[in-house]
Amino acid sequence: MGQDTLEYRSLDDRPLPRWLTDQRDGLNQYQPEILEMKEDKSLTLSFIGTGAVIILVVAVLTVYVLRNRKSRY
Amino acid sequence: MKACHLRILILSGILSMACTTKVSEWVLLNSEANNYILVYYHKDPVVEVVKRQNEEIGREIGSANIQFRTIVRKDIEKPYYALIYRNRLFSTYNSYAELKNLSVSPLREKIASELMSGMLCVMLYLKTGDPEKDEPALEIIKGTVAASPYREVLSVRELDRNSTDEKHFVSMLLNVESDLKEINEPMLFGVFARFKALEPLLAKGISAENINLMIDFLTADCSCLIKDNLPGTDILFTNNWENPLPALVNRILDENPALLHH
Repeated sequence: MGQDTLEYRSLDDRPLPRWLTDQRDGLNQYQPEILEMKEDKSLTLSFIGTGAVIILVVAVLTVYVLRNRKSRY
Repeated sequence: MKACHLRILILSGILSMACTTKVSEWVLLNSEANNYILVYYHKDPVVEVVKRQNEEIGREIGSANIQFRTIVRKDIEKPYYALIYRNRLFSTYNSYAELKNLSVSPLREKIASELMSGMLCVMLYLKTGDPEKDEPALEIIKGTVAASPYREVLSVRELDRNSTDEKHFVSMLLNVESDLKEINEPMLFGVFARFKALEPLLAKGISAENINLMIDFLTADCSCLIKDNLPGTDILFTNNWENPLPALVNRILDENPALLHH
């Protein structure tokens, strides 16, 4: 809180002490965090991840089943 | 209970206390007053009489927030003393006699004892000596303090700008900001903690709204924003600030939780 006096024209224009204006404006308190909306891609990533796993499992099972069938005949 | 659980419990207790300590109490308990420097500037070798006088000064100010130094300076005509606070020259003195009672005075003793007794703040009203200017503002101060829920822990003291007994104290107050010496208007200083004087309200700035903001500042929970950048100027005073009585404001806040603000 730099307190030294600023230049002013008359006594009426003399700035109030910084501790007082900060107290008045609530600047001596912790300021609440400003929440900003960000683009949420988690659902898309989740779908892609789930789809990839399903495709991989189906592919592996298909190969496994086809190989078993071939060996039977 | 495991040792680590106990540690966590104690640590959280300490943290919760730290966050609810009020500004005035935290500063009194934890913030050391900044030191002044009294310098004796001289060109020629110091004669025996002056040496003894300087030793006497050293003893007088020994337990105050001040250091004494002697510096040789070739560009001066005659020796003098200079009182410096945080690289700002507060006053100069031509002789040892002018330094009498530099670090003690009756009003400073009274104010310090009030701060040590757990008062929230001493509102020090520096009068101009002109009743037409002084009386209206004094009425506002007294009325606002009387209407405040914290009136029991606030003290109002008056000081005449021309007081000879308190000339050093007045000089320090008028150095709290660089332009105060040129302003012949009544001023209200909030004095708290280890004799820290806030930048004053003056002239029309001495209003009920601003006085209440001063009280709010001192009764707010002590945030790091305040701790890291504490306003005000420490006044030179000889005192032992150890073991002050508990802050009386806490009792008022306990009885009136609606007054709590953060």
